[in-house]
Amino acid sequence: MELDNIMQIAGLVAIFIGIATIVVAGIGLFNLPDLYLRASAVGTSAGLGVASIVVGALLMDFSWLNLLKALLAIVAQMLTSAVGSMAIARSGYLNGALPAAVTHTDDLMKTRRDNFS
Amino acid sequence: MPNHKNSSTALWPWRIITFLFWYAKEFLVANAQVTADILRPRRRMKMNPAIIAVPAASESSAEWTLISCLITLTPGTLTLTISRKHRILYVHGMFADSRESLVAEVQEMENRMLRAMRRSPGDLSRPVQVPVVAPEDKSPGGDQQ
Repeated sequence: MELDNIMQIAGLVAIFIGIATIVVAGIGLFNLPDLYLRASAVGTSAGLGVASIVVGALLMDFSWLNLLKALLAIVAQMLTSAVGSMAIARSGYLNGALPAAVTHTDDLMKTRRDNFS
Repeated sequence: MPNHKNSSTALWPWRIITFLFWYAKEFLVANAQVTADILRPRRRMKMNPAIIAVPAASESSAEWTLISCLITLTPGTLTLTISRKHRILYVHGMFADSRESLVAEVQEMENRMLRAMRRSPGDLSRPVQVPVVAPEDKSPGGDQQ
């Protein structure tokens, strides 16, 4: 009974941490200056947020099968959010979305055919 | 506990476990850093972004895929593209105060990852000087640029 209560509370805490992470990522979408900063901050913060919510749900309703499902879900979520951010950032660069002015070095610009720097 | 200079001679399973814990720690630290910066008002943001060509020591496709995914998963750094021909990772860093600091950060992660992935770490040397990469006249028409 005691352990059950502690697991419930820990689960709720994890879920709220996840929600907070996703809210911060949403604020970042508005606050950050360019596509690449948004992709790198938001893609992975959202990944961590979802992972944290999954862990919270697992703690509230623990079984070994659920543990297996949660691990699978977290790994898949992390991998897809990483690949998705890379695909978005790369296609943005190829389509001419320039990095914000605060970006102090851009080595990738040298590889461009239309060198419009 | 082996220190980090001779960790390439430690047992393989031990290297995998230490890498996982090290990565989890880096992930959480970077997350806190990015979160703090997002919540600051725009004028006081500490970010200093840059796109840097980082020489890499990876060999197989699996290693290239994994290192670019791990870099992207760390909040604040993002792999834009790779060039296997020139052995370069193009990394966008959010807090890249200088070229050297970002290169050191990425190469430390790659060193640890390669030591965890390979049974014997082997050759971890990298091209010292960044090769001059210019667009070729004919597009290779594949995964490389």
